[in-house]
Amino acid sequence: MDLALQLLFTGIGIGSVYALVALGFVLIFRATNVVNFAQGEFSMLAAFLMVVFSVKVGLPYWLAFIVALMGMALLGAVFNLAVYYPLRHRTYLPVIISTIGASIFLANTTLAIHGPEPEVLSGWFDTPGFLLGPVYLDSQYLLIIAVTAILVALQYWFFEHTLLGKKLQATSQDKEMASLLGIPVATMIMVTFVYSAVIGGIAGILVAPVLFVSIGMGAAIALKAFAATIIGGFGDVTGAIIGGLALGVIETFGAAYISVPYKDGFAFLVLIAFLIFRPQGIFGERVAEKA
Amino acid sequence: MLMTRRGFTTALAGTVAAPALIRTAFAQAATVKIGMVMPMTGAAAESGSFAQTGARIALEQVNKAGGVLGKPIELIFEDDQTTNPGAVLAFSKLASQPDIVAFLGSIRSTQMHAMAPDMLKAGKPVGFGGTDPNLTKLNNPWLFRFRPNDSYSGRVIAQYGSKELGKKKWAIVHSTDAFGTAGAKALTDSLPENGATLALDQGYANQSQDFTPVVLAVRQSGADILGTYFTFETDLGIFARQLRQLGVTIPWVGSPSIVNVSALKLAGPALYNTYGVADYAEDSSDASRAFGKVYREVRKVAPDNQSSWTFDAVTCLALAMNKAGSTEPGKVREAMLAIRGHKGAEGEYNFDKNGDGLHGYNIVKNEKGDIKFDKRLDFTPNLG
Repeated sequence: MDLALQLLFTGIGIGSVYALVALGFVLIFRATNVVNFAQGEFSMLAAFLMVVFSVKVGLPYWLAFIVALMGMALLGAVFNLAVYYPLRHRTYLPVIISTIGASIFLANTTLAIHGPEPEVLSGWFDTPGFLLGPVYLDSQYLLIIAVTAILVALQYWFFEHTLLGKKLQATSQDKEMASLLGIPVATMIMVTFVYSAVIGGIAGILVAPVLFVSIGMGAAIALKAFAATIIGGFGDVTGAIIGGLALGVIETFGAAYISVPYKDGFAFLVLIAFLIFRPQGIFGERVAEKA
Repeated sequence: MLMTRRGFTTALAGTVAAPALIRTAFAQAATVKIGMVMPMTGAAAESGSFAQTGARIALEQVNKAGGVLGKPIELIFEDDQTTNPGAVLAFSKLASQPDIVAFLGSIRSTQMHAMAPDMLKAGKPVGFGGTDPNLTKLNNPWLFRFRPNDSYSGRVIAQYGSKELGKKKWAIVHSTDAFGTAGAKALTDSLPENGATLALDQGYANQSQDFTPVVLAVRQSGADILGTYFTFETDLGIFARQLRQLGVTIPWVGSPSIVNVSALKLAGPALYNTYGVADYAEDSSDASRAFGKVYREVRKVAPDNQSSWTFDAVTCLALAMNKAGSTEPGKVREAMLAIRGHKGAEGEYNFDKNGDGLHGYNIVKNEKGDIKFDKRLDFTPNLG
């Protein structure tokens, strides 16, 4: 029982990271109908920005966090203008290829500027964690779970109860109709990219104290987050969260009770099973229909 | 002027071959080239930069001492992207350059296995750092190892943990790649002769984001000592932190990555009081200290085995070519196998018939982040 509780906590913690990155996938997919394969690099870049402002420049942690996220917002805007906007009237394929190219560009630019050395980033709390009965609760994972829950609630409120949120929803559902109703579609897509870059950035900064800051950290997380998005239902926010959490828990329990070396395999087995038996995911519509 | 068919064919062949001939002739006149496959991108890019520094230090020293056969040596680098396909591609690019006379392969056994068939086809000496014992048993006469293989590390870890630390019930955690699997097997095989038993053999896939299931398995195994073979320092860092967080405090003797600069930086206090087998230990010999001094001047950080093996490889290849009086592969190979008592940064080189140059390991201890040399355990090689 103690073992199961410990695994459950860890699974939810790592699953929350997948969920946060998956949220970024979903938001951009809803707005543009394409998958942004550079979403993982947003997380990596934010973590490196945090190292620069917090460790190298010496800003207070909270201020470095805000400055890093402002940097991500700027990056999101530039990304939209450079990677998506010039191809907005093309089919989804050139845009996807463009995001893959941007992903490689961002990783290699970071490598060229910073160098290959992984970095250590301290967490928000001085205490790394504490024991609650037999279960060790990592304070960083607790923070990740809490932030994920808060962001999901905020996102629900934003999309359902604000005018901007409703405009974004309208844009994602039917761009032409939204445009006829006077909604500035290009601006809405810009806002979506900015918001997704910030969300990805938050995920990267939160997970950095656990996984370290390295060039490859984004790609590793994004692959699982992408799987979580498909499992949850592409284009569905709730699905991304459930998919991320489910993936984290499944791979953790699978590793503990079946095989550690095949930990990643469990995640992708579940993904394959969904693609075969329920391609629309838990909540969403069929991937094929979207494509 | 009429041109005969023979004349035309000769002219055509000459036109096609001329650039290569001119390039080869020019290269022969200029430098002696050694190709080096190394990670410049990917998860091991940092260790690749250390390896490059080690090789460059050797290059400067060799060239300062007169070079090879009166010519300076030159290093040609190719990025292996820290992947097996990347390594194969990088080696192919180097092997296609006829003026390269020898190569440096990878410190990662899995990449060496991937490149080995092409290395056999290339038919030129290759120095490498991968420690899977099988690599020098592939009937490939061109492979020369510049680190002690894991049959030695397994024996040293088992002997030190069981005899010196007095612990008999082992948990072994290892990567499932060629290096980790071979290392774990060597350690497992060495336990009975040291009166110890295996409580847990736990593999993991490289670049995992979470080691909680592995740590819990170690905790539940009832082991009183931990032996590890980690390939990537980021994995080691995450594992070390989670091990301490989940309350596992048994003694830990690890393979060389446990004392790598990157691992020490990432894991910090989580690695305090651990032991490691280290092919490079700065205080183990005068040659090691001398290399450490130069390396610190260049990189401003402590050296580790990522750089020491490439330093030794370039030095020994240059030594062999000078002794052979030629860069002809067969003659260089014979000269490499004849190296006896060469004092390198990693230890004393005596190549056996398989191409293994080193036959022992240092034991070091992490004392609050400082790596302290304890002792060196050497085994008598069969130099046949």
